[in-house]
Amino acid sequence: MLKHPMLKYLKESGPHGTRLPFIMCPGCGAGQVLNYTLHAVDSIIKEGGARKEDFVFISGVGCSSRLTSHYLNFDSGWTIHGRALAIATGVLLANPDLNIVVFTGDGDAAAIGGNHFIHAFRRNINVTVICMNNGLYGMTGGQVAPTSLSQAVTSTTPYGNIEDAFDLCRLAQSSGASYVARWTTAHPHKTIKAIKKAISKKGAAFIEILSQCPVHKKQTPVDMIRAFKAMTVPINKAEGSSKIPVGEFCDTPRPEWTQKYEAIIEKCAGRKS
Amino acid sequence: MSGAPLEKKEDGIGAAGLISSGRHYLEGSEACVEGALMAGLKVYGGYPITPASEIMEHAARRLPMVGGRFIQMEDEISAACTLVGASWAGGKAMTATSSPGFSLMQETISFSIMTETPLVIVDVQRPGPGQGYITTSQEDVMQARWGHHGEGPIIALAPSSVQDMFDFTIEAFNLSETWRTPVLIMAEETVAHMREGLFVPDPDQIKVVLRKKPQDLGIAPEDYQPYGHDLVPPLADFGDGYNINHVSLAHHPDGNVANYNLDMHRKNVDRLHDKIEGNADVIARTESRFLDDCEHVLICYGAVARTGVEAIMEARKTHGIKIGFLRLVTLWPFPQSLLRKRIKKVGTIFVPEMNLGMMMHPITEALRDRCDQVVSIPSIGALHRPEALLEKIREVVKC
Amino acid sequence: MRKIFIRTDYCKGCLICVESCPKKILKISSSISAKGYTLPQVTNTEKCNGCGICEIVCPDFAIAVEKKDKAV
Repeated sequence: MLKHPMLKYLKESGPHGTRLPFIMCPGCGAGQVLNYTLHAVDSIIKEGGARKEDFVFISGVGCSSRLTSHYLNFDSGWTIHGRALAIATGVLLANPDLNIVVFTGDGDAAAIGGNHFIHAFRRNINVTVICMNNGLYGMTGGQVAPTSLSQAVTSTTPYGNIEDAFDLCRLAQSSGASYVARWTTAHPHKTIKAIKKAISKKGAAFIEILSQCPVHKKQTPVDMIRAFKAMTVPINKAEGSSKIPVGEFCDTPRPEWTQKYEAIIEKCAGRKS
Repeated sequence: MSGAPLEKKEDGIGAAGLISSGRHYLEGSEACVEGALMAGLKVYGGYPITPASEIMEHAARRLPMVGGRFIQMEDEISAACTLVGASWAGGKAMTATSSPGFSLMQETISFSIMTETPLVIVDVQRPGPGQGYITTSQEDVMQARWGHHGEGPIIALAPSSVQDMFDFTIEAFNLSETWRTPVLIMAEETVAHMREGLFVPDPDQIKVVLRKKPQDLGIAPEDYQPYGHDLVPPLADFGDGYNINHVSLAHHPDGNVANYNLDMHRKNVDRLHDKIEGNADVIARTESRFLDDCEHVLICYGAVARTGVEAIMEARKTHGIKIGFLRLVTLWPFPQSLLRKRIKKVGTIFVPEMNLGMMMHPITEALRDRCDQVVSIPSIGALHRPEALLEKIREVVKC
Repeated sequence: MRKIFIRTDYCKGCLICVESCPKKILKISSSISAKGYTLPQVTNTEKCNGCGICEIVCPDFAIAVEKKDKAV
């Protein structure tokens, strides 16, 4: 029986029982995003860009954040709602040589985590944020989120959403992220490439991936993936289009936080850290 | 010895950027940071709040001198969260806040208890509720134990002097690494802002505890269970290659959160409880004087110990009242059996506190059968004056 | 011919692999897994070119394909 090549990066079982399959619903985009991420990470490890031990995955709370929980055969932390980036900041300050990947959802990142979102990018800490945007709070039953579209009917907007959605990529970019990209689960190769690029670069990277929640949207996973293809347009062709732009929003390297702090340590301690 | 903030060797900075041994004259806030650095502090994440900001400012100046990293975060929640991440990556971490910020940190504290993450949080207490005021208080001592959601014990120390701010901070780090738990230093504005002599021993006299790691115990990565092996499990750092999954959902010893059952859940919670409360006799400390022949006793903690001891000395010397003195060094776990060992039979137990009476409750529970009455002496917003304590003692004792 | 393996204890029958296969050699089967999910099945293995897209898009890591052509 040939095993999926990425299963080597997962904990299938242990002394207290099996862990797979994931708790996610059938066809949930989160599993696909994990698959894409592991392909990107695998590629980096194979090319000698980083060791497996150097990777750390931090998540908040929600379906997207469940990817860490107890599945990864890496160092990981399944933390508190909205605070993954704050905890990741601490990880980085204790050991700037670690490659930190943050899994988060739209609610986790932009509602309760909004403050930490903008500051992490303002600081340009060395982290890659992978945000699975399904436009709602999945784990808790499909409530409205800051990324839900206007007029969306959700469990807490039964009469239609009267608010407008954040553009998370523009938010990350204007906060100061050095690499920002948006793709969808319908763009596996582009997503893998973007994640690989983001991890390989120093600085704060934000990758938004439109991800399907078939249960709360009441559509099949396949229909939603087809819709992602149809409703998006490459960013260089987005002018005048009402479709959602996908692609790279910015790639503007600038000095990273720990690199700048290193100069302070050298000055104060008279040596490198 | 100028009392100016430590900047250079001339001010008392010795080898490796740490405070030199010998006599210093420092503010409590500074002594706290120097103790933390001595204990191996590597990361400080802070947020400004009166009257704790000086601790953060001192950390900002001093940390890079020892190769550590300081960051001012965007709120108290994220400040506390940086400690969690830093600790997971092997860096000893601390923050300081005051009462309103302490309230904000409770979820993070709860998370640290469940994930058994060593870290130190200093609460420089000020009155509440709400904004309250920016003077001194002991109104968070119950919040320290019960403020975080869920079952989960905590260790909390109550410094009474600048020397304590130095010594107890080192002790807090050692306790956190030994017991794999967050540790609170329940200071007050009084103790953070007072300026006194500090004696720093020679470095070889100072014990610094490093966390127990699985690699030190010969446990291979494939056999490692981050919440197993021992009552206090060994903890691998991020980057050690142990693929540790930190989780705060009720979990099995290997970090598995699937296969939930009530038995697993109960074992999880019981072990956390027993780890600290079951070891209260080893963890908790008190200091006492004149207990051997006392007819009454004054029990207090923190800054109140300073006026408390003065009041009982005067009561003994001038008024012949046989009153003993005991201060709680450790508020939590509450040193119930220690108190019962030290106090056999007294008339009145006086408990002055800078709140309306909080620690008087576990004190009463512990010593109800060993005394005639417990008299709470509250003070809100200010430290009791020794004369006021003495007057109360004399009034009750009728002397 | 390349063999395609489906992990029936991991597959949740989402059928994203069926949709994504560029050679259209996966289809919905009439088999139900032990957990009650409708499984995909492989038709016409000879057409598989080992592109691995089914592996990449599977949310449950439940499908694997031999990348190198194996002599029949």
